[in-house]
Amino acid sequence: MNKAISTRLTFVVAILSLLIFIILWQVIAQQGLLVKNFPGSFKTIGSLIWWVSDPFFDNGPNDLGIGTNLLISLRRVLIGYSLAVLVAIPLGVLMGMSKLAQSSLNPYVQLLKPVSPLAWLPVGLFVFRNSEITGIFVIFITSIWPTLINTAFGVASINPDYLRVSKSLGASKSITIRRVILPAIMPNILAGMRISMGTAWLVIVAAEMLLGTGIGYFIWNEWNNLSLENIFVAIIIIGFTGFILDQFFGFLQDKFDYSI
Amino acid sequence: MKKNSSKISTSNENYSHLELVNLGKIFFKEKKFIDFRSKGNRSGFEAIKDINLRIEKNTFVSIIGPSGCGKSTLLNLIAGLQAPTSGKIIIDGQAIKGPGPDRGVIFQNYALMPWLTTIQNIEFALNTVFPAKTKADVKERARKYLRMVGLEKASNKFPKELSGGMKQRVAIARALSINPNMLLMDEPFGALDALTRSYLQDELLSIWRKNKVTVVLITHSIEEALLLSDKIVLMSSGPSAIISEEISVDLERPRDREKIEQDPTYLKIKMRLEKHLLRETRAVEEVT
Repeated sequence: MNKAISTRLTFVVAILSLLIFIILWQVIAQQGLLVKNFPGSFKTIGSLIWWVSDPFFDNGPNDLGIGTNLLISLRRVLIGYSLAVLVAIPLGVLMGMSKLAQSSLNPYVQLLKPVSPLAWLPVGLFVFRNSEITGIFVIFITSIWPTLINTAFGVASINPDYLRVSKSLGASKSITIRRVILPAIMPNILAGMRISMGTAWLVIVAAEMLLGTGIGYFIWNEWNNLSLENIFVAIIIIGFTGFILDQFFGFLQDKFDYSI
Repeated sequence: MKKNSSKISTSNENYSHLELVNLGKIFFKEKKFIDFRSKGNRSGFEAIKDINLRIEKNTFVSIIGPSGCGKSTLLNLIAGLQAPTSGKIIIDGQAIKGPGPDRGVIFQNYALMPWLTTIQNIEFALNTVFPAKTKADVKERARKYLRMVGLEKASNKFPKELSGGMKQRVAIARALSINPNMLLMDEPFGALDALTRSYLQDELLSIWRKNKVTVVLITHSIEEALLLSDKIVLMSSGPSAIISEEISVDLERPRDREKIEQDPTYLKIKMRLEKHLLRETRAVEEVT
């Protein structure tokens, strides 16, 4: 009973706070309390409805529907991210299993990890001479580190009992990796993949401002049009998409939670 | 006794099932970069030394000693999980080179894979040891061993849904499913409460009676060793632990938990073991 009441209460409070936020925003904008011509919440919501009601139009690269732009960004992220995961997991397993691999690769990881992935953008443009591939490349670099580091850590800290069982049965290295190590470190891999996805989604917006097309370019384009309400629309859409992506990994993590 | 009644004449007749010859294990410190200059003379921790032991086929042998005496090290060596620094381990006349499915190992913490159901845990062992077996064969065999430990109904449960005793029964089923002729147990009931522990001891005895296996059990419980074993091996305190005594337990089987506690032979051995363990434990505690 109590639980039902508190759920309903939470819902009511959430709706109320949203209403208060919308009204406050509208009042502040209308009165010009912040700056002049700051779009109000009503205008922004109007734009949001306009963009969402016809999301997939295509009138040339500078006039794309928000859905089309979103799909372009998502495609870049998914390709770059998938490639990164395909590289990071085997490399992480190798680093976790072999001291030699760990000590020879770790300096590069530690050196490159703190670099903003956007620093690779000019490198990508120079090498690939193609903005699409450069975007994917930047996302690849972004996504690789958290998954790599988490995988390596997972392997290095695996419960030695599992390995002893596997060894006592005379399991080959390949069986041990596929049937013991990989399932055992699934929680670590997924935690890494979740962080990677979060960062990739942050970076794509910034990268696309320089690349043309995509949700990040949409923001840059609307800035050139001085249409702040459309930028707010994009912010809402980006936030919502990021939330869905994160929840997806949260769901996977729950599935692979072995804790007792 | 069981071992006499069931002996089949083979060419291995002259061998003991398991023979440890001058076995020793030293754990060396990992060589750090800074140590390159000091060549040779690596200092290390000598866990056990000069272990000589013969274990006959299908007997139940317990190894008992104060904590930290290298009992687990000894078991890991027999299992082939670690390589000895010196000496040999001979099984059926052949020196072993590593782990093998002729030995089933049971660990104190059950070591079940949490991402597999109970039956899948057993199937993993079977698939690893018998890669040629068909899926149906493996499933049937896994089910058979789950039935043996009375956990057929829990076959689709995950380890986290089982009690400690149930987990250890699955681990026993897993170890036996690969049809080993030796069962190596490292304090298998150490983490269980007293009631579950006695239940599993009885269970183990009945399983041992039906499946002909040699059992090597590491324990620190005198009562457990006395109830289960044909022979008790006493180890001295570490480091550099040695076997200080071997005692045959000539108590009739099947043994009744309550009755043997009144048996004069039982009491005599128990006293001897207690004295030894107390002395060795004192040696450990008073050194540091």
